[in-house]
Amino acid sequence: MSSRRSRSRQSSSGRITDQQIDDLMSKLQSLLHEARLGSHDRASAAKVLQDTCSYIRSLHREVDDLSERLSELLDAAGVSSDQAACIRSLFM
Amino acid sequence: LGFPLRNNPFPSIDYRPLQNLSHFSLSWIEFGEAIWSGWRSRWFVRFVMAISNAERETAAAKEGGGERKRKRGAEKPLAKWRTQGEQKTYSSKLVEALRRVRRSSPAASTDHSRSRAIRAVADRALALAARGQTRWSRAILSGRTLKLRVRALARAGGPKSLGGVATVFASRPAEKTKPQALERKARVLGRLVPGCRKLPLATILEEASDYIAALEMQVRAMSTIANILSAAGSQPM
Repeated sequence: MSSRRSRSRQSSSGRITDQQIDDLMSKLQSLLHEARLGSHDRASAAKVLQDTCSYIRSLHREVDDLSERLSELLDAAGVSSDQAACIRSLFM
Repeated sequence: LGFPLRNNPFPSIDYRPLQNLSHFSLSWIEFGEAIWSGWRSRWFVRFVMAISNAERETAAAKEGGGERKRKRGAEKPLAKWRTQGEQKTYSSKLVEALRRVRRSSPAASTDHSRSRAIRAVADRALALAARGQTRWSRAILSGRTLKLRVRALARAGGPKSLGGVATVFASRPAEKTKPQALERKARVLGRLVPGCRKLPLATILEEASDYIAALEMQVRAMSTIANILSAAGSQPM
């Protein structure tokens, strides 16, 4: 895969150690969860992984609930073209 | 699919390319496979250029160039999920798909089947928004096509269709020094993110970050649409 942005950074000076990768990634994860963890000190990698898993699960559940809600709403009334324009204009 | 855009927020931007999506919206599967077969394919390039360029520039200008300069590398791809342009693109696709779902199941079939259809459609739209740059998005697009077949294959042992491509980049040596508990959690995470089983930990984490950011955008977009629909429902236009 050719990546336009340097996503997989293979350092030319030598392979990046696993430890370095873990540190960078843990920081990345913590940034994503800063709203949830509050001001926790960066815990162990296990905790980060655990939190990530539960966060993804909760997001999945939220998407499922929203799907349910949307299906009920679709039942009542379809998405008219007016509403479609309204939705788009809302994201100004 | 002609939306009369009376309140065009960006008068200088031509929304007609959006309506060209009607070609693609006829078959998500074909479009997904077009991406799968080659990101540089004609359709994919046209899709990207037509949809994202104008809106992205506007959105990027809003976000501020400073943010791009400061946060380089890994964070730059994540910020894209928070731009208004992305959310707009995704919402438009979702709305079109929702209309199709409604048309295809007029008599209220059981809520579960329809909500599952909506979930599938939302996930596929999300994967398309990723523009084929992440494994999870490619897995979703290919997974939906082969859903029935892959299930049987997976039980037989070895989802070659998904795993075969996913392991192309798993060329890093195995981590022997990791404790078992960490490995186990990493595997769990790999199962949660589509298309990330049996990948090295670093890759899984990278995919998971992007996946989480994308999911957050999905939740925002879907809840907004739901709010609009429920509000509009109480006041029939």
